[in-house]
Amino acid sequence: MEIELTINDESTTVAVESDDDLATVLRRNGYKGVKCGCDSGVCGASKVFVDGEVKMACGVDARNVDGAEIETIEALGTQDDLHPIQEAFVDHFAVQCGFCIPGMIIEAKSLLANNPDPTEAEVRQAIDDNLCRCTGYQKPVEAILDAADRMHGDRSVAADGGSRIDSRGTDDTGHDGDSDE
Amino acid sequence: MSDDPNDPQTDGGTASKPTSEEPQEFEEHPLEWDESANNNKAPGERKSVSQPAEKFDDRKLVTGQAKYTADYEERFPDLAHAAVVRSEVPHGRVTAIDTTEAEELDGVYAVLTPWSDDVPDAKYTSAGQSYPEPSPWDMNVLNEHVRYIGDPIAAVAAEDATTAAAAVDTIEVEYEEYDHVVDPEEAFDEDAPQLFADDEVENKIVGHDYDRNRMSNIEGEIGDVDAALERENAHVHETEWETIRQSHAQIEKHTSLAYTDEDDRKVLITSTQVPNHTRRQLAHLFDIPIRDIRVKKPRVGGGFGGKQAMVVEPIPLALSLATDRPVMYEASRDEEFYAMRSRHPMKVRARTAVTDDGTIEAIALYALSNTGAYGSHGMTVAGNVGSKPMPLYSKVPNARFEADIVHTNTPQTGAMRGYGAPQGTLALEGHLDEVARDLDLDPIEFRRQHYMEVGDLDEIAGMMGGEGAERRIRSCGLDECIERGKEAIGWDDLEQPSEPHRHRGIGMALSAQGTGVAGDELGAAQIMMNEDGSFHLQVGGVDIGTGADTAFIQIASEVLGCDEDDIIVKSSDTDNTPFDYGAYASSTTYISGMAVKKAAEDAKERILEWASRMLDEPAENLETRDGEVYSEESGEAVTLEDVGYESVYGHDDREHILGKGTHSTEESPPPFAAQFVDVTVDEQTGEFEVNKLVVAVDCGVAINPGMAEGQVEGANHMSFEMAVSEGITVDEQGRAEVSDFDEYGLPSATETPPIESILIETHEPTGPFGAKSVAEVPTNTVPPALSNAIREAVDVRINEMPVTAEKVKTALDEK
Ligand code: FES
Ligand code: FES
Repeated sequence: MEIELTINDESTTVAVESDDDLATVLRRNGYKGVKCGCDSGVCGASKVFVDGEVKMACGVDARNVDGAEIETIEALGTQDDLHPIQEAFVDHFAVQCGFCIPGMIIEAKSLLANNPDPTEAEVRQAIDDNLCRCTGYQKPVEAILDAADRMHGDRSVAADGGSRIDSRGTDDTGHDGDSDE
Repeated sequence: MSDDPNDPQTDGGTASKPTSEEPQEFEEHPLEWDESANNNKAPGERKSVSQPAEKFDDRKLVTGQAKYTADYEERFPDLAHAAVVRSEVPHGRVTAIDTTEAEELDGVYAVLTPWSDDVPDAKYTSAGQSYPEPSPWDMNVLNEHVRYIGDPIAAVAAEDATTAAAAVDTIEVEYEEYDHVVDPEEAFDEDAPQLFADDEVENKIVGHDYDRNRMSNIEGEIGDVDAALERENAHVHETEWETIRQSHAQIEKHTSLAYTDEDDRKVLITSTQVPNHTRRQLAHLFDIPIRDIRVKKPRVGGGFGGKQAMVVEPIPLALSLATDRPVMYEASRDEEFYAMRSRHPMKVRARTAVTDDGTIEAIALYALSNTGAYGSHGMTVAGNVGSKPMPLYSKVPNARFEADIVHTNTPQTGAMRGYGAPQGTLALEGHLDEVARDLDLDPIEFRRQHYMEVGDLDEIAGMMGGEGAERRIRSCGLDECIERGKEAIGWDDLEQPSEPHRHRGIGMALSAQGTGVAGDELGAAQIMMNEDGSFHLQVGGVDIGTGADTAFIQIASEVLGCDEDDIIVKSSDTDNTPFDYGAYASSTTYISGMAVKKAAEDAKERILEWASRMLDEPAENLETRDGEVYSEESGEAVTLEDVGYESVYGHDDREHILGKGTHSTEESPPPFAAQFVDVTVDEQTGEFEVNKLVVAVDCGVAINPGMAEGQVEGANHMSFEMAVSEGITVDEQGRAEVSDFDEYGLPSATETPPIESILIETHEPTGPFGAKSVAEVPTNTVPPALSNAIREAVDVRINEMPVTAEKVKTALDEK
């Protein structure tokens, strides 16, 4: 069957097989920033926003999200114009292999939209289902705390441009999905 | 460690290493090293090395643009997907495979069995090691004789992953079942079911005895341990320790894509730590010339040793040959736990003889290693149980290490970060702590009396490696690691909880590792200068997420005096980059990084030569900095861009400036770590809480301190997991009882205590700009430090990992 989706602000019609999960569908359509580290909705690598809520895309039956608004990592900053959370991850050396990172950044974005000034414990709680084998979580946690500061009013955010957060935790930075290296 | 008599003694190494006809001991292991030949810039003068240069692929990684193996699928419109049929019995012989239904399924392109033409029947080892491999050739790509629940038997290629999986489900396998054995001690018994007939193994390893399921036995000794143990009035202590079957749990699963390109070459895009070893092993298996295979490593989503092996690559290649299409195989998470690789579970026994005044006269370790169904990395990992931690106490005159490595019908083991050192460190550091407490000695002072110092000739390192493998210690920051670690954990002012049944304690442990495999490594690099003054760096070194490519850029830009952005790095593609042994044994920065340094120096020499002509000044007067070649003497300068254009478009003379560097060495300097664990234990329930981990690491000069800290924290997390999680447990059939992350218990962000990493800078004269390794040594230390902390807090000893509340409670009840 076919379903309608708005992916990163672009409406599109995508083909869906009966047992497709959303992660498979997004990846098939070029959104390779959605990563799959488990087959069971536990590692967090496939997190995306579905109608403003964070979901592990691998655990979402694609047929059930007909008409939904999806936001993937591709909607955040670009390499030349990073979102402040992405910027903080880079500056804090919070990225090693990077495989878990898109999902973790999506979760961080949701957290900071709802709780702009989280404690360390709240950050750890928020990313509790984003498994990372490389970092020991220390630097990602520091990066998210710093991102909260960066996104607070008078900080360096102005230079960046990717930070228009509304209460639903989505922004309107358009992005054209996957690009080649 | 390799028992190969033909091991080439290559040394393209540091030119300053003295050679003479009859080397004196001291000349072979000089204390003074020609430091300036390697490290001609003082730390304060550096522009790139020791600076927090941005990780070069980070922007791609955080925006989701970076390409891992699975992300390449869209480039292949006719890509087929693979799935594998795996043994459901722990031990037996496949007598029949019914593939008819699978073959008739719509969208299935090929079904392969052990008897198919496209499936090689050669024996091999999956271990990605130097040649000849120090692991036995004991397995086939698809196996008729199956030895564990998970052994691959048949493989399918289909138009999509769902169809491939459906086809696998229809395949019927008939077995003749054999008796099986799961417990390593039972397996060692002569009456135990035998996994290998003698003629089922090629490239057998020293000490093998397949009648007893033993793939190897190794032993080494210096001095006379038995005499020391038997000496009158020696305190003899003996303890035994047990470790878990730990999973690498890299978040990116083993993934590999094979195709034939327009030049008829077999190409693998694959998530590997060892592209060159993989190429060689595939050539052997498929009987294809090495030159006709290309192995390309894209971004890798974690390796940790699990990808220092050719685990999945032969399957998509065989299917691709059979179907004449590109084929991708991505293991499932379930397969990751039952059919990929894991850390060797071990029992390690420690014995010491100590005099009244606390002098250790002898140390002996014995390890029984469970290598599972196959022998990959079996002997070498077991060797490191002794050869990595024991040299820490190089002042002890008598030392012995012995290991038996036995097969059981359980999942395959392999290389894993730390590589035997975690098992040995638990035994040694737990044991010494216990001895100190028994003799009423301060555990730190007791250690300090015996551990390495700069200038020591470490003979224990030579114990296993044979003559000439001793090493001179030229950098050692142990004292400072301990002091800074104590301060950070609050060693001297520990507050006890107010409830009387809760007790807080700090435990500590030390660790040493190596940097590369002494005498058995090679890294190579090339640098091409572009006319705009930028450079292409081609390096065999393998970045699996550690930031190695960034460290290479920093090393090259330090030498060339250019911005990091002016260097484009291309790594790990066997067609386009020079040879490298791969990412393992903590060798990348030290070995491949030194090759990069040499290549950059080679290019720089040509640059100075050209600039000398352009400036009309002798090259000795010239230096590079900020994209320029300048002369302090005359104040004149030309830009690297000027040199680039002049060199390729010059009127009279032309040259493409190319630098090359190759590095191999007999050295393997140890990095050091001091671990501190702060724990609170409830003596009523045995429940405990780890409040904080502090680990101080002497890694020489950190090429990129932020990245190095990240390595330390990640390694410590892995070490913490070894101390508190069960790992992959197996049932009485040897079946892995874990099928997903939830069951595995990978510590999450709330389950992981804060980790404070402290880098202690020393200067290793044999490493590029003073660097030695960083990423493995903090993998070794949490299990002993946690055991020691619990002993400190509530006076019970847990010898068996993981430490659990039940075990603590039982020990408290028995007290
Ligand atoms: S792949 Fe979706 S949560 Fe792991
Ligand atoms: S950075 Fe590798 S899994 Fe998180």
